[in-house]
Amino acid sequence: MNCKELAYLLADYLDGSMDPRIRAELDEHIARCKACMIFAKTYRLTCRKAAELRGDIHYEIPDEVQERLTAFLVSAARKFPGQMDDYRRQAERECEEKVLAFCRAAVEGKLSSMAAIMMDGHIAVCPKCREYFVVLRSAHADLCLPPREILEHVVRLLESLPPGEEFFLV
Amino acid sequence: MPATDRWKEDEGLLERLRKGAPGAVEELLRLYQGKIFSLAMSILKNESDAEEATQDVFMTVIRKVNTFKGNSAFYSWIYRICVNTCLMRLRGRRRGDTVAIEDFMPVFTEEGMHASPVDDWSKEVERKALNEELGKMIRKFTEELSEKYRVVFVLSDIEGLSNEETAKILGMSVPAVKSRLHRARLYLREQLSRYLQEGKAD
Ligand SMILES: [Zn+2]
Repeated sequence: MNCKELAYLLADYLDGSMDPRIRAELDEHIARCKACMIFAKTYRLTCRKAAELRGDIHYEIPDEVQERLTAFLVSAARKFPGQMDDYRRQAERECEEKVLAFCRAAVEGKLSSMAAIMMDGHIAVCPKCREYFVVLRSAHADLCLPPREILEHVVRLLESLPPGEEFFLV
Repeated sequence: MPATDRWKEDEGLLERLRKGAPGAVEELLRLYQGKIFSLAMSILKNESDAEEATQDVFMTVIRKVNTFKGNSAFYSWIYRICVNTCLMRLRGRRRGDTVAIEDFMPVFTEEGMHASPVDDWSKEVERKALNEELGKMIRKFTEELSEKYRVVFVLSDIEGLSNEETAKILGMSVPAVKSRLHRARLYLREQLSRYLQEGKAD
């Protein structure tokens, strides 16, 4: 164990999720290395000071904002039941377009690296999707919406991408 | 409130929202409006942006409540919509000044030893008089973080969510959350260290 390794293990060390044997090694290093002792101490203090601010940084919603939002949303929701089906259809359409774009990107090798990794991970364990995409890639067929089951898997994959992250290469 | 009670309360609410029951939207807002506004403020740092984002979040929740699968907790679904909405807004906006986090990571020699002396500023920090100013500085340093780290830091260390909850909301793995959080803290430690050292030199 050296100082560099120790610095990168500090979070586990402090949240108690560390293997006891590694913890013992860390303790031993800290006992004989002043720099690391101070580093660990100030790291812990940083966490504590940030946590103390928790209540402080909490932004209160101003009363007038709250009233404005409530009035708007309640009236929007009242119009809502009639529009429910429209919204549902629209959401479905958007979802299908996204799946189609994903399939196209997968066939053309234009998935983002994150999406490609997740896709590879998925088809490694899902024979149905593997088969579907192998055929899709080789056939140069016109893209169409995949069958329900595969569509659902793609949707789940898309949903598990980090927020704000696009699935295609830009 | 214990998690199971919150879960039950949410489940009932969900059912009523789906049916369009009277008062359901009001209850949704009573439970979540403050939290969502605060989270949006932490990410967007601007009140009118946060208000618009909050409105968008609840419109999305009301519209999509039928597609909510229930495989994650309701509140984490709402938080996720909020984070998504805010990040989308940030992208459309000129990027604020953010720091390069790499410049604040500890530096080591080839043998893996600390390359520069590590300053012990724990005593300065414990001095009471410093507290308010220190709070301001922590806030400022946090706001200078790029969104990738700030959002994780906000959810975990400000909202006080567990790593598992943060991971679920962001659709990231727990190790990825931990690693970003750790880097954000290393950054903050270094910033505090530099700031307190400057104070000493004065
Ligand atoms: Zn050391």
